[in-house]
Amino acid sequence: MSTEPPILEIENLSISFFTRLREIPAVMDFSCAVRAGEAMGLVGESGCGKSTVALGVMRDLGVNGRITSGSVKFKGRDMASMSDAELRAIRGREIAMIYQEPMASLNPAMKVGRQLMEVPLIHENIAKKEARARALEVLTDVKLPDPERIMDAYPHQLSGGQQQRIVIAMALMSKPSLLILDEPTTALDVTVEAAVVELVKDLGRKYGTSMLFISHNLGLVLETCDRLCVMYSGEAVETGNIADVFDKMRNPYTQALFRSIPLPGADKNLKPLVAIPGNFPLPHERPPGCNFGPRCDYFQDGLCDAQSIPMFDVEGQSRHETRCLRHDEIDWSRQEIRAIETEKTEIGDPILRMEDLKKYYEVNASSLFKGGDKRVVKANESLSFEARESETLAIVGESGCGKSTFAKVLMGLETATDGTITLDNQSIGDTPIQDRDTDTVADVQMVFQNPFDTLNPSMTVGRQIMRALEIFKIGGTEAARREKMLDLLDLVKLPREFADRMPRQLSGGQKQRVGIARAFAGGARIVVADEPVSALDVSVQAAVADLLMEIQRTQKTTLLFISHDLSIVRYLSDRVMVMYLGHVVEIGDTNDVFAPPYHPYTEALLSAVPIADTRVEKKHIVLEGDVPSAMNPPSGCPFQTRCRWKSEVPGDLCEREVPPMVRFGAEGQHQIKCHLTREKLEGMEPVITMAAE
Amino acid sequence: MEPLTWTGSLAVLTPILWTAAAAFVLLAAIRLIAGLFLASGDTVTQPDGTLSMTRGPLETLDLATRWAFYVILGVLAAFLVGGAVLGLGAGIIGGMAQRLIPVWIALALVIGVSLTFRRRLGLYGKLFGSTIGSVGFALVMFWVFAAFFGALDMIVTHDPLAQSGAMKNEVPGTFYTKMIGDIDEGAYPYYLLGGDNLGRDVFSRMIAGALVVVQIAPMATAFAFMVGITLGLPAAYYGGRLDTTLTFLANLILAFPVILLFYLLVTPEIVATGIPTYMAAVMFVFPIVFFTILLNSRYHTRPKLRLPLLIIVIGVLGWLYLSLISKRFGVLEVLPRWLDLFDIPGGILVVFVSVVFVNSPTVFRIVRGLGLDIKTRDYVAAAQTRGEGPWYIMLWELLPNARGPLIVDFCLRVGYTTILLGTLGFFGLGLPPESPDWGSTINDGRKLLAIYPHPALAPALALLSLVLGLNLLADGLREESLRD
Repeated sequence: MSTEPPILEIENLSISFFTRLREIPAVMDFSCAVRAGEAMGLVGESGCGKSTVALGVMRDLGVNGRITSGSVKFKGRDMASMSDAELRAIRGREIAMIYQEPMASLNPAMKVGRQLMEVPLIHENIAKKEARARALEVLTDVKLPDPERIMDAYPHQLSGGQQQRIVIAMALMSKPSLLILDEPTTALDVTVEAAVVELVKDLGRKYGTSMLFISHNLGLVLETCDRLCVMYSGEAVETGNIADVFDKMRNPYTQALFRSIPLPGADKNLKPLVAIPGNFPLPHERPPGCNFGPRCDYFQDGLCDAQSIPMFDVEGQSRHETRCLRHDEIDWSRQEIRAIETEKTEIGDPILRMEDLKKYYEVNASSLFKGGDKRVVKANESLSFEARESETLAIVGESGCGKSTFAKVLMGLETATDGTITLDNQSIGDTPIQDRDTDTVADVQMVFQNPFDTLNPSMTVGRQIMRALEIFKIGGTEAARREKMLDLLDLVKLPREFADRMPRQLSGGQKQRVGIARAFAGGARIVVADEPVSALDVSVQAAVADLLMEIQRTQKTTLLFISHDLSIVRYLSDRVMVMYLGHVVEIGDTNDVFAPPYHPYTEALLSAVPIADTRVEKKHIVLEGDVPSAMNPPSGCPFQTRCRWKSEVPGDLCEREVPPMVRFGAEGQHQIKCHLTREKLEGMEPVITMAAE
Repeated sequence: MEPLTWTGSLAVLTPILWTAAAAFVLLAAIRLIAGLFLASGDTVTQPDGTLSMTRGPLETLDLATRWAFYVILGVLAAFLVGGAVLGLGAGIIGGMAQRLIPVWIALALVIGVSLTFRRRLGLYGKLFGSTIGSVGFALVMFWVFAAFFGALDMIVTHDPLAQSGAMKNEVPGTFYTKMIGDIDEGAYPYYLLGGDNLGRDVFSRMIAGALVVVQIAPMATAFAFMVGITLGLPAAYYGGRLDTTLTFLANLILAFPVILLFYLLVTPEIVATGIPTYMAAVMFVFPIVFFTILLNSRYHTRPKLRLPLLIIVIGVLGWLYLSLISKRFGVLEVLPRWLDLFDIPGGILVVFVSVVFVNSPTVFRIVRGLGLDIKTRDYVAAAQTRGEGPWYIMLWELLPNARGPLIVDFCLRVGYTTILLGTLGFFGLGLPPESPDWGSTINDGRKLLAIYPHPALAPALALLSLVLGLNLLADGLREESLRD
């Protein structure tokens, strides 16, 4: 270990926000150190104070925020003693920050090149020409194709992934010694995320930059960081090297967090996830003593709530600290607790069948004058599959792959251009929702992605569920409907008092439960769940996912689970359908899809998903470029522009013809849409392997 | 008899007021200049976690300025309270403060009750968290109560239409005399704010004019909102051709010169053709349509409740509507006389029609914009996927969630309408010439403005304070609705 001072040293930092009513402590007694060239991960759920730490380091806390105690030392100098001018010189030059929304960090009215050149022009007073040369060089470093063209583009002309690369480039323009990344990939698709993460890692190595990487995704932190700091409710609860914290955790919160995320090996029936009970405490309602106390399995009355708890060194490991009084008493090797095994559900007869479903949108080239050439967006291209009773069918794909269009057609918000959808031998593909009978409408329902958007903010929770009951003609009287509504709240495990609450009084997870209750109001048999947990915190995700599974078991519902998160898909689905640019490229049982033979896209997708398990070894496949526009899809195989196996197919077959479905498995259940020969597909190596224990 | 002075026996306070005002202006100016050179005091975190500022020269200046302001407020309050007690003994201000006692009591009651229960009153309660909003609310309520108690004959001192040849253009505080005939027993002895060029009491006319404004402006604005909402929601929700057509029409109306439109509407030849009446007939249908659709879309799943509800609502609204448009000897005489509840004077109908006609396109555009945003929310998709009708989605899913900006705009728009009424009155359009409404009185007073400013000044200040109050109220509402 070197003796030179760390790049960033935070000691006992406390940050509070002051409102008219009270002081709200956002960060308490937070310490950590980032050494030169080290990448430090900051992990925690939303509201735990991780972004506040970053802002505190930048000394950019706004009017209400204030550092109440502790110090932040940058390269050995206390930042509190610096003047505003000195701080300005450091920000952007020595410490650079990358935010979550790339579009929000770029000035939409300024060309990319000028924004990049601004950094050295302001900080280093160099000539324009030199600045331009540096900008070009950095653009090449962040692997953007055709840097000259990009310099001349406005931010909105670039894709999300490209924008984030520009933001990274801007941060690197002045060769900072510390890079703070605040959820830099959360707004991006998985394959793009993988590429950006790969880039950040490479650049960190190349420039020797230290990094503070803020994320809620443990898998991502595992892939990028050397050290890790877990935060809970304003405090750091565990700090240490990645391997130590992941494999030899010494804090109950860290342990609970790992139990609530789906890792390979978790299984909805045999090894279900364990959600953390209770709710995250509000900053002004923190319990005495240990903040995690009320939710902790190891809580001891009179000990954990009696005193404020300092960080303890974990014996026998270097630089590993935990904030737990009982860290040396707890048997950390003990396996899952309270996990209840459940029986696998019997999968019944097919109730929904799609055959050759097509959905095209016509876009007029010019809206002012009719006529001219019409362009066609092929949102869905020959979708065929069937879904059985009490089965979970996952639909996986990145944004723009046609998942949402498919859901709209199924719900009847759009009608199919071609092909059929049969529900119980009754064709519904051409029937818009207003022409469907009540039973059909009640049978096919949807759970939405954004919990903050799924409920009408100006109606009580109970009223919204009762409205669904009214529409589905359930319960003759108001009293009967109210009774049924309360039953539904029981079903989703919400207290009955919630009936009279307004949605803004509920947390994200609770809102999502209300959304589920509403979807099941009419005894839905098919529920389309559009990323139902992706906007929730990890500890809540498990609870909501398990709730869906439990309802499925009792109601024999068919669940169409739309997601891009392959970890959760692997955990709870029976079959998986992978979509790309409106095509189904692979479909089959979950185990078959997650094992070779793969479709090349599935292979890349699997490799891109970060997994928070040190034992997992992944093959690295980084997809180049972006998903092509559906307005102008590539000829032949939709994936041919990004496929790494393309050279294995003789001739220009991939560019000419859409490949046929190749069937695998005993009953041909596993289908792959690819030109590769059967032998080549079967010869693929698995992407994810578990290292021998 | 001596004319009244402004402050009467409270005149001792006047020097204090002027000193405080001068100090305030001076200190504020010094503070402004000093702020350029001096640094503000440091903020220190106290051990108990609160923040405090150390006292620097700037802070001292701030404090002094604030105290000067408090003194001004204190003296003004003393004038009002003392006036309410002493009455005419405290001069003109005292006389007015005493006449307005019912208003003060009502204001104190409303604000007191609201402050007590502010936590339970939603957005209205939160309004009192903002100083600007509270001031605006108080100003608006002052005029509402003044109009209300004025209509009950508790405030006005003389008949607003009664003339006295001896009082022509007399200055405020003149003793009441008459040239012809005797003064009634118990008549108020003074013209508090003087007399206008026909010898009418300016104070009484100002209070009586408040009633016209407070009645017409909110009602006309409410109608404009009904029209704007009923058209704006479908334009946003359906989009396409309907949207294009409606937006085009709205732009067309917006592009039309407003004053010219008003002149056209009141031209006798045009009134004779019945065009304003027909326009009223069309515009006043919208509330009925609005409420019918609103209730039907909500309760069509419960037929037992819907039928009586709709019969009552359509019945009552329909009757009001028919009474409204049907006028004896008018172009539309649809109801027999014994069923006709009331007749609206032709002038007021024209004012209504013009205000609604001019305001509804703007409301339409606001509603359309809000609707376009809200219709992309998941709860709208959820309503669609459970098969709700389009009107339910528009009126129960979109509209309630657009309420924040709409309430704010409503307050602002009542203010604009008040000014518009003033403008109409000023041009002598619509309302009868003897009407005490503020626009007409300003116009009357205008002719001798250089010699006798008081007949025009009183209604002008009234108009100013009401519109200012409405704007402040809207600001406060906007500020508070953005919070939380």
